[in-house]
Amino acid sequence: MSGALVFSALCLLAAMGTSAGSARASFAFTMAGTLVGLLAALGVLLGPDDWEWTGAFLVGGERMHLRLDGVGAIFLVPVCVIGAAGAAYARAYWPDSDFPGAAARGRAWWNALILCMGLVLTISNGLHFLIAWEAFALCGYFLITLDNRRPEVRKAGWLYLASSHAGTLALMAFFTLLAAHTGTWELGPVRDVPPALFWLALFGFGMKAGFFPCHIWLPSAHANAPSHVSAVMSGVAIKMGVYGIVRFGGWLPVPAEAGQVVIGLGAASAVLGIAFAMAQNDLKRLLAYCSVENIGVILIGLGAAQMARTHGNAAWGQLAIAGALLHVWNHALFKSLLFFGAGSVLHATGTREMSRLGGLGRAMPWTAGLFALGAAAVCGLPPLNGFVGEWLIYLGLFDAATTRAGFAWAVLPAAILLASAGALALAAFIKAGGMIFLGAARTKPAAQAHECGAGMLAPMGVLAAACAVIGLAPGLVWPAIARAAGSWNPAWAHAEKSPFATLGPAQAALAALAAAAGFLLWKKSRANGLRRGLTWDCGYRSPAPRMQYTSGSFAGIVAGWFFRTFGSERKFRRPHGPFPEGSILLERIPETVLERWVEPAGAAITRLSHAALSLQHGRLQAYILYLVVGLAAVGALVFLEGKP
Amino acid sequence: MMIVRIFLWVALAPLLPGLINKVKAWVAGRRGPPVLQLYYDLIRLWQKGVVLSTLASPAFVVAPAVAWVALACAAFLVPLGPAGAGLSFRGDVLLMVYLLALARFCTAWAAMETGSAFGGMGAAREVSYAVLSEAALFAAMLSLAVQTGSVSLVAMLSPTPGAGTLLLAAGLFIVLLAENCHVPFDDPNTHLELTMIHEAMALDHSGPPLAVILHGASMKLLLFAVLLTAAVLPLGSLSPLAAAGALAGGVLLVTIGVGLAESFLARFAFRHVPLLLTMGILLCLFSLLVAWKGGAA
Repeated sequence: MSGALVFSALCLLAAMGTSAGSARASFAFTMAGTLVGLLAALGVLLGPDDWEWTGAFLVGGERMHLRLDGVGAIFLVPVCVIGAAGAAYARAYWPDSDFPGAAARGRAWWNALILCMGLVLTISNGLHFLIAWEAFALCGYFLITLDNRRPEVRKAGWLYLASSHAGTLALMAFFTLLAAHTGTWELGPVRDVPPALFWLALFGFGMKAGFFPCHIWLPSAHANAPSHVSAVMSGVAIKMGVYGIVRFGGWLPVPAEAGQVVIGLGAASAVLGIAFAMAQNDLKRLLAYCSVENIGVILIGLGAAQMARTHGNAAWGQLAIAGALLHVWNHALFKSLLFFGAGSVLHATGTREMSRLGGLGRAMPWTAGLFALGAAAVCGLPPLNGFVGEWLIYLGLFDAATTRAGFAWAVLPAAILLASAGALALAAFIKAGGMIFLGAARTKPAAQAHECGAGMLAPMGVLAAACAVIGLAPGLVWPAIARAAGSWNPAWAHAEKSPFATLGPAQAALAALAAAAGFLLWKKSRANGLRRGLTWDCGYRSPAPRMQYTSGSFAGIVAGWFFRTFGSERKFRRPHGPFPEGSILLERIPETVLERWVEPAGAAITRLSHAALSLQHGRLQAYILYLVVGLAAVGALVFLEGKP
Repeated sequence: MMIVRIFLWVALAPLLPGLINKVKAWVAGRRGPPVLQLYYDLIRLWQKGVVLSTLASPAFVVAPAVAWVALACAAFLVPLGPAGAGLSFRGDVLLMVYLLALARFCTAWAAMETGSAFGGMGAAREVSYAVLSEAALFAAMLSLAVQTGSVSLVAMLSPTPGAGTLLLAAGLFIVLLAENCHVPFDDPNTHLELTMIHEAMALDHSGPPLAVILHGASMKLLLFAVLLTAAVLPLGSLSPLAAAGALAGGVLLVTIGVGLAESFLARFAFRHVPLLLTMGILLCLFSLLVAWKGGAA
């Protein structure tokens, strides 16, 4: 095991080293490193023992201590899978010929990112964790800003860096306080620390995980990064934040209300995240907001598990945490698939705006099919993997509800909001798929789109296959998930038998029936005579692309419900007279949290600082006056204190 | 047994729209189309050719088939009184609700295929209003789960009537009307496309795919009628024969109720639709609260 992980790390280092010299060698090293890393993670998940290694040398005065247990391993799997898939996709999507220099830098930072995430997941020392965490955040920054000629990319990178450091600041406080209370930087299950420390960890890791309202950096960073980077950031990097919350929720004594708070944050993220996603016109922004939703789904499961743990390790908690952890995998798979699809669309048409696309499905049938599969998976539809994970979470919530325990009330709104978020996700992805791939092309670039090459389709195919396999045979992944759940809470180590005994075959049967029925209906239609004709569209002679529903009109109903929540800006002038002119309808959905809360707060701080600056003017007399006043004040304090 | 069950769902489902039309005609003083009209339509459509939009891909034909399979599988999970369900396991209720969502996904996807303004309009309305009806449906299912202490449909649908039963029935009836596109949410008879939801999505379909869509819709209506009846009546405490009779009677009653609602109500303006659906959510939520506080006892 040690050998495998060392080999994996060395491969990634070699991939970094060769990134500028030979793209092919670098890619081979990346694949070798991620594959071996994946095998090691699976080895831990399917075996009974954790992996542990203590170095003989000191780093920063602390002994190097690595450990890979079930929780770490379950997060390491998507790191390796998406690490490999993204590297393969980048070869075709971001080649040296199109991006001289940037492509090589991209490979170097890519491998560094994977290595750092691996370290974050294995390091078992607070000080080293902080170092690895910071390195990981910086790798992310350099990957996001690969295309640094564009100003919006630099802006997105800056926002990412600033929010990331706000989180890191909280984490520094967290790890320092933890070390102060336990007397050592070593990490592990602890008992005698104030539970309130959990809030610090929740905020610190939450800034990375991007739940609502800590998601401010996420939409712009994911939208402006190259698509393979968006995939790894959205599919894997934000999961490091989730890892932190899961890890320290398991190791620390948490406050009694932690479960309810996490469930509440999760439910808010799920509904608001997907509502914002629905309102976006930029495809990658939509996907980024959808990640906020999925983090919410994971947090709902985690919060329920936390609640169960606080109240006597009820069995439904195991289902909830297993669902949350499975959703970590699932989301990594389908969100990366969707970001790759978005990359292919961007590659083919040069735009991410859905209102400028349309009809791409005819030119790009493979991309369209894979995107549709990813969309169905992200909506949690059977028989794909998204449903399996959400089903486990729901089952945990429903089981909790049937106990009617007083503390479990939070699962009722959570389950209902989760259902609404699922229906909203369906709306958002029908919109995305419909606007991009279906109907008629709305602009010329969309009409001239072409299918992307096999180099981009193959990684998407692999991810889609993984989505299908987990959906059709969920029993395969249950041992790994149960092992991680047991590692998170030893009380659940003796897993109940797979809850998928009936669901798995039912899903497989559903898939087979659907395929058969589709085939039969197609054959029947062909046999009856299939005639091509214009879209009927109420009998118009020549329907034009501009008569189609647009992205904005599709989202209109939902955007109306959330009008006040979004703080939408609207400019509307009705048409007047027989020859109406100058009528206009503009609607902008702002980055509400960023523009309405964070930026005003930042501006206020800046104003305050400017006001303080007026004290600093270079006039010596005034400085002497400050000194005298200050000394007098100190003197007065001493004088008053001296006399009781 | 399995064949009988499939036969019941597949063969009896098209009866319901016929009954509804008969009730409407009777209230309006007309003779109306025969009860079996939908059967004739289905047979006719099944033999017709298909006109496929130049913009549409084969998915336009395949999607209705997948939607039909999803609805049929959902129906297979719903217990028919004493006969039980075709397949029952812990958490099957969630699979059922998500199968309905799968059907919605397929229908809406196919509607977007043709690039028709009406397809987009219908799909947008369907998926948006489904957010509310799914919340109501989940609240209803949660309340049944809490009341019976079980998360499997067979046990959940044999509740002892509690204080929340009436609330639940009213809430589920609203969901039934919304999900199956009946007045006051949608008018299945209208020829004004601007006011339609479900029909607007099916406008460009023809021939066998249209038959499949129509049959799927009738099966969905039957599913909701059975669900509503079984959630309200204590079928578990009756003898098998009486339970079967009660179930059939209940479904008939629900169907007549839909027909009466269609006759006596006007379709709501679209801005009022969310309000009525919210009322459905609230009714289901209140029944959930009653169940949570122990109203079943």
